[in-house]
Amino acid sequence: MRILLDNFTKKFDDVMVINNMNLEVRDGEMMALLGPSGCGKSTTLFSICEIYQCNGGRILFGDRDVSNVTSQHRNVGVVFQNYALYPHMSIFDNIAFPLMVKKMPAEQIKKEVHKIAELVHIGDLLERKPSQLSGGQQQRVALSRALVRKPDVLLLDEPLANLDAKLRLEMRSEIRRIQQETGITAVLVTHDQVEAMSMCDRIALMDHGKILQVTTPNDMYHNPQTDFVAGFLGNPPIAFLDGVITNGQIQLKDSAIQLPLPSRVPVQPDGKIVRLGVRPEYFGNQAGIELQGQVSFVETQGRENLYDIRLGNGAVLRSIQPVRADAGLGDSVSWPLDTEQILIFDDQGQRVA
Amino acid sequence: MSDKNSSNFKSWPVTLILGLFSVPLLVMYLYLFIDTFTNTAPGSLIPNELTFEHWRFLWETEPGTVSIWQVTLNTLIFASVMTLVILSVSLTAGYALSRLNMPFRRFFLAGVLTLHAFPTVTLVIALFIVLQFLGLYNTLIGVIFIKAALMLPFGIWVMKGFYDTVPWEIEMAGVQDGASRFMVWRLLVLPQIKPGLIALGVFSFLEGWSEYLMPQIFAPEADVQVLSVYLASLIADDQKFDFNLFKSIGLFYVLPVIVLYLVFQNKLMNIYGGGSKG
Amino acid sequence: MRQRIGLLGLGFMTPALVMVLVFFLIPVVMTAVFGFTNMGTATGISGGEYLLTPKIVKQLEIRGEFDKQSLTALSSNRYQVTEAGLAKAASDGLKSAYIQGLRDSLLGREYSSKRDFERALKKIKDRPRKVRALKKSAEYFSQSILNRRYLTDHEFKTALAATGVQLSATEFDQVLSASYTGWIWTTDNFTNMFSKPDTWVVAFNTLVYVLLVLAFNIGFGLFLALTTFYLPSGQSAFFRAVWLLPRISPPVLYVLLWKWLTWDTGFISTVLGWFGVPAFNYMLGSVGSAWAVVVLINGFVGASLGMILFSSAIQAIPKSILYASEVDGANRWQQVRYIILPQLRWPILFTTSYTTLSLLTSFEYILLSTEGGPGNTTNVWALEAYFTALNNYAGNLKYGYGAAMALVLVTLGVLVSLLYLRLFKFDELVARPKIEN
Repeated sequence: MRILLDNFTKKFDDVMVINNMNLEVRDGEMMALLGPSGCGKSTTLFSICEIYQCNGGRILFGDRDVSNVTSQHRNVGVVFQNYALYPHMSIFDNIAFPLMVKKMPAEQIKKEVHKIAELVHIGDLLERKPSQLSGGQQQRVALSRALVRKPDVLLLDEPLANLDAKLRLEMRSEIRRIQQETGITAVLVTHDQVEAMSMCDRIALMDHGKILQVTTPNDMYHNPQTDFVAGFLGNPPIAFLDGVITNGQIQLKDSAIQLPLPSRVPVQPDGKIVRLGVRPEYFGNQAGIELQGQVSFVETQGRENLYDIRLGNGAVLRSIQPVRADAGLGDSVSWPLDTEQILIFDDQGQRVA
Repeated sequence: MSDKNSSNFKSWPVTLILGLFSVPLLVMYLYLFIDTFTNTAPGSLIPNELTFEHWRFLWETEPGTVSIWQVTLNTLIFASVMTLVILSVSLTAGYALSRLNMPFRRFFLAGVLTLHAFPTVTLVIALFIVLQFLGLYNTLIGVIFIKAALMLPFGIWVMKGFYDTVPWEIEMAGVQDGASRFMVWRLLVLPQIKPGLIALGVFSFLEGWSEYLMPQIFAPEADVQVLSVYLASLIADDQKFDFNLFKSIGLFYVLPVIVLYLVFQNKLMNIYGGGSKG
Repeated sequence: MRQRIGLLGLGFMTPALVMVLVFFLIPVVMTAVFGFTNMGTATGISGGEYLLTPKIVKQLEIRGEFDKQSLTALSSNRYQVTEAGLAKAASDGLKSAYIQGLRDSLLGREYSSKRDFERALKKIKDRPRKVRALKKSAEYFSQSILNRRYLTDHEFKTALAATGVQLSATEFDQVLSASYTGWIWTTDNFTNMFSKPDTWVVAFNTLVYVLLVLAFNIGFGLFLALTTFYLPSGQSAFFRAVWLLPRISPPVLYVLLWKWLTWDTGFISTVLGWFGVPAFNYMLGSVGSAWAVVVLINGFVGASLGMILFSSAIQAIPKSILYASEVDGANRWQQVRYIILPQLRWPILFTTSYTTLSLLTSFEYILLSTEGGPGNTTNVWALEAYFTALNNYAGNLKYGYGAAMALVLVTLGVLVSLLYLRLFKFDELVARPKIEN
């Protein structure tokens, strides 16, 4: 079922946290709310399930306005960061709880619980207590409990944050699998771009209570609307260079180097200040304009190495490429920059092209 | 500390000083046990005779006095009903203060915090007159309610502390699962604070069992006497100062305390420290 | 929905609110109210009646503001046979012939002394044979208001007027208030309190008591916490258990053990007796030893509170800091002085203020041990209030005066406990509930 936030506003006492937010999550879609901590993504999530009350605007499930519907009646499943399993109940009772509250007959409860347990692969754990389970298993139980009463919407609040690296990888695909198998509309809150990109159909990137861009992971990576989005997405992160338009070309700040504008970019007026975003994979790999610099940092990542190259004007470009012997720390190198792939932002951080 | 034997520290002088200070206590409690089963000649400290006569109060009731079992029953009723009242009232109030949005919440919290530090003994005179008015003077029920009420701010405070430790997410999950706040409290939160409930219960029971002043003031009469008042009046009336008898009754009186204390030691520590820490 | 949660919250609070109202707020107000009355066993706690006794007349005479004659007239016993008296006698079952005889021969006559009247009665034909019954029948016609109870001031005023004694308006009022047996509003309690030298003695005692016990509690509590922290775990567990004994023992038993320890037949006297020291009651024998015993009894109990609070504060110091200080070459004393004590500042502040307040108002252990003796030397404010209002040998309990004394403590208690609100991080405490519905 689609979720629509229509001019949604949330205040805590007098502090405005989210002001007039608009967002649509399509039916069956998995949407990530991505952003740094304190950006309002959890507040939004908790407002969708009415743990927080919305102070303005509307929240719609399908065509139904649920702004004034209580948590108990919104039919939303939530998976919390620490799973919030009921420690005194067995796994079966945990999953059965939402059905028991609904006063469903015991026979049917049993059937439903077993069905969902099969889907989430915890059929053999039902007799145990939460404390006897591993983090990944608890996560699965939390998912089952959220899904068992067939909610309209599934909300996931940093579901992988408490898992170790290996389990996180496994649960990433598991959650996606279960979401796709049930076809439920889901919202995932995370501060981890990899999670957002790998699990979700679309990402809503938030900062300071505002949505900066909503689009598919791929599009967001390649076509960020602002330098903040460009900087937030991508690992290793994008490098920025300052420059100014001179004679239709980009003159780097404090440097004689001039770079051509990418061919897709229309003519820019002379004297315009610009910020160039260069992703590490477009420096030192393909053909392009050679830039001279000094290796100031090398990080071994196994298959590839990450190099920081300090240019003559002090600016730093990042390059990721297969390990090479000719670039040790302090060595002078001359590597090609693929100018066609440069992202150009104006001095307000808005994308020019 | 684990590095007990660091070279820059000798522990025996400290042990010695501590030991010297502890001698009075050790002597007192050692002879509490010894004197109940033995007789000692005047001027001596070494018992010269083993006897059970000091325990005769258990099966003999001197004329004009109440049976020890009646008094024990009174004490039991006093302590346990008081505990029940404290537990049931602070169970709900603590939750409301810890978790629920309600009018005047700030005011209530300030009130509980203030009252929990308030010296309650200053109120006994007014309470005495209240009881006279209500006709509850010299009844167990009157003194039970007074003692329970005076301990209530403390109980609510401790209970609120226990509720505060229950993760919010559990309640959020419960609400999302469709349960009302009352059901969340009843089915999901209460089971989490069971240990706290037991601790506060034992603590209140021990407080009630040991209490002297309130029963002395509000229910001193023989048929509602509790053990503390019974023992105190025995000591006050007796002309012979039969310490062996007093100690035997005292030991009988303190035995449940020691047993409960040994069983619930760790939980009680929490309350001794945490309750007054706020 | 928000409304309903508010109701659930208030519903959950209601039992607590009722009990707090009945047993805290009302008593606080009542203490203040009673403090301004002269309530006591003499006046009762409900309303009073009017009763003029010869004693009161004498007191009025001593005041010297009254005309001697009218006082004599007030106390003189005048008899007159009236229809009202006859009717009363008839309804009490006196023989009707006797009553008829009285009506016929004596109605309206006045006698100024009992003897004259009784002599007149003896002449009635059907009079009672027994002298006692005769004398009793005379009382129906007594016109004096002495030793008679009047339930309302109206009745009393009527009776007073009926005596025919001439009184000025002020004299009339004085008789009225002097004969009232119930309690009245007054500020005398406070003026008396501050003018009595005993009050200042007790106040001084209280100060000494609080300071000495507080010093012992904090100082020794700190000592116990530090030493048990550094001792091997077996030893420290032992000492902690020993020092907890006073706290978990019922006060009556604990003080009993102290009596056994300090009385002249007790442990100390017995041991010292072996060295030729005469037996001595250290609890009550001399002022100095009584104070020492009082301070120790309270101090031994209180030290364990400090021990528990300080111990847990020390345990909370990260071990790595202590190890680091040792690596840096600090000895134990320096470690205590520069690492541990600064961390204990807050618990010490808390324990000090908490203990001060509870000591100011506590009297249980003194009541059980010295009862304020010898003489009045170990009496403290709260104990004095208790004796005044609730328990003394004379049996003359002065609720009003005791309440006035308690009011001083209640005021102090309210002020200090409000101070706690400042000490605690109250705003953190009232953080909003995280579920908003």
